[in-house]
Amino acid sequence: MIGGARTLLRLAALQASWTYERMQGIGIAFAMEPLLAPLEEYPERAHAARGRSAQYFNAHPFLAGAAVGALSRAELDGEPGERILRLRTALSGPLGALGDQLFWAGIVPAAMGLAMIGVTRGYGLGAIALVVLGYNALRIAVTAWGLRIGLAHGLRVAHAISESWLPRAAPRAGDVAAVLIGAAVPLVAAWLLRGSGEPIRATVLVVAGAAALGVLTLRRPLSAPALTVGAAALTLFWRWSAA
Amino acid sequence: MSEFPLVALLVWGTIVGLDLASMLQGLFNRPLVVGAVAGVMLNDPAAGLRIGVALELFALDVLPVGASRYPDYGAATVAAVALSAGQAWTAALGPSVLLGLVLAHLGGLTIVLHRRVTAWALARSEPALDRGDRGIASKVHLVGLLADLVRSAALATIGLLAATLLKHAPHLDVATQRALAIVVVAGGFVAVIGGALRRAGTARRMVWLAGGMALGVLGLGLR
Repeated sequence: MIGGARTLLRLAALQASWTYERMQGIGIAFAMEPLLAPLEEYPERAHAARGRSAQYFNAHPFLAGAAVGALSRAELDGEPGERILRLRTALSGPLGALGDQLFWAGIVPAAMGLAMIGVTRGYGLGAIALVVLGYNALRIAVTAWGLRIGLAHGLRVAHAISESWLPRAAPRAGDVAAVLIGAAVPLVAAWLLRGSGEPIRATVLVVAGAAALGVLTLRRPLSAPALTVGAAALTLFWRWSAA
Repeated sequence: MSEFPLVALLVWGTIVGLDLASMLQGLFNRPLVVGAVAGVMLNDPAAGLRIGVALELFALDVLPVGASRYPDYGAATVAAVALSAGQAWTAALGPSVLLGLVLAHLGGLTIVLHRRVTAWALARSEPALDRGDRGIASKVHLVGLLADLVRSAALATIGLLAATLLKHAPHLDVATQRALAIVVVAGGFVAVIGGALRRAGTARRMVWLAGGMALGVLGLGLR
């Protein structure tokens, strides 16, 4: 399906026109355009569909394909405009929450944890290339799956997603990320502090101190970059005054 | 600027800026990936990996969700690797990571600017969009994409300029260099451990995290 392939390509650039007013709305309209092409024979319906397609929408970008597919199917089937807009609103939250849990809190940290472990074990660029390739294959497959399930189920897409692998996989991805990030911490600490003169003492001190600070700031998160820049400024001042 | 393969670094800095949100989001903006490629371009892959890993620790604390403003580590990492390339790691790690952190924060500010430019284009096209005129959504989308291209290129240029200036700045003494290196590494671990603990949320996930750490310690013994 040529429209579907073009939509899949356009979904890769979904967030280029993100705004506070409509969030991903314009990106969704951009992605739906090829799928709505058959409506051009009916100018009134095409105008109404295009107008609806650019309204407010926000979800996880990799799962937005499910919304694009379902909304396009509903428009092509001639469903009432109000029902289509209600579907749009109803999909936004769940697709956002599931995608954030699966990718931002799961697969992305897991992938980076794995890449860091690979680097510390001496696999360097090869480990990074493998992780990037695997991640992109998965990311594209998930977006294509979403588009397919949306096009197949239209207004019933929420039920189809709830019955799929997605709600079960999302929390598991976070577990995998926790293990891989946990494993990466001591390996990366030792690898980064290898040349510091006293690598083992420095590693234990840095990891234990950072873990203690992490626990202390669990309820009230602090900005680690700001803390680091501040501590570096103090270090420079201390060294300068001691000179 | 002749000490860097300037055009290659600028192009790479721009591409990774687009990958942050506008295009693909395929990990090309992650510091570890950016650093590894920049290191190869600068003929110092080890520096690229080291700076990439150090900045990745900070990036792992970031959840780029919804309307939040998050730092852009792409061009920041390119500049940080450019600053560290060809130097001993103890000398380069502190200043390079600090430059990366400041530039990433600046990158976060430019994301807001990008959103405002797109909002301006949206406001101009709003009646036509709501009427459903053909091709209007694509035009607004293209404006957003072009604005992000300019944002990413500008950020890469500023980063490389800053790296060049710092490369010619007077060098710090060895003790200060080591102290700064420890400070940035410790800061990175505060970020990654704090982020992992907050994200874990449940006791069950904390157990997974602790189990992972135990595996990592075991891995150190297998060296």
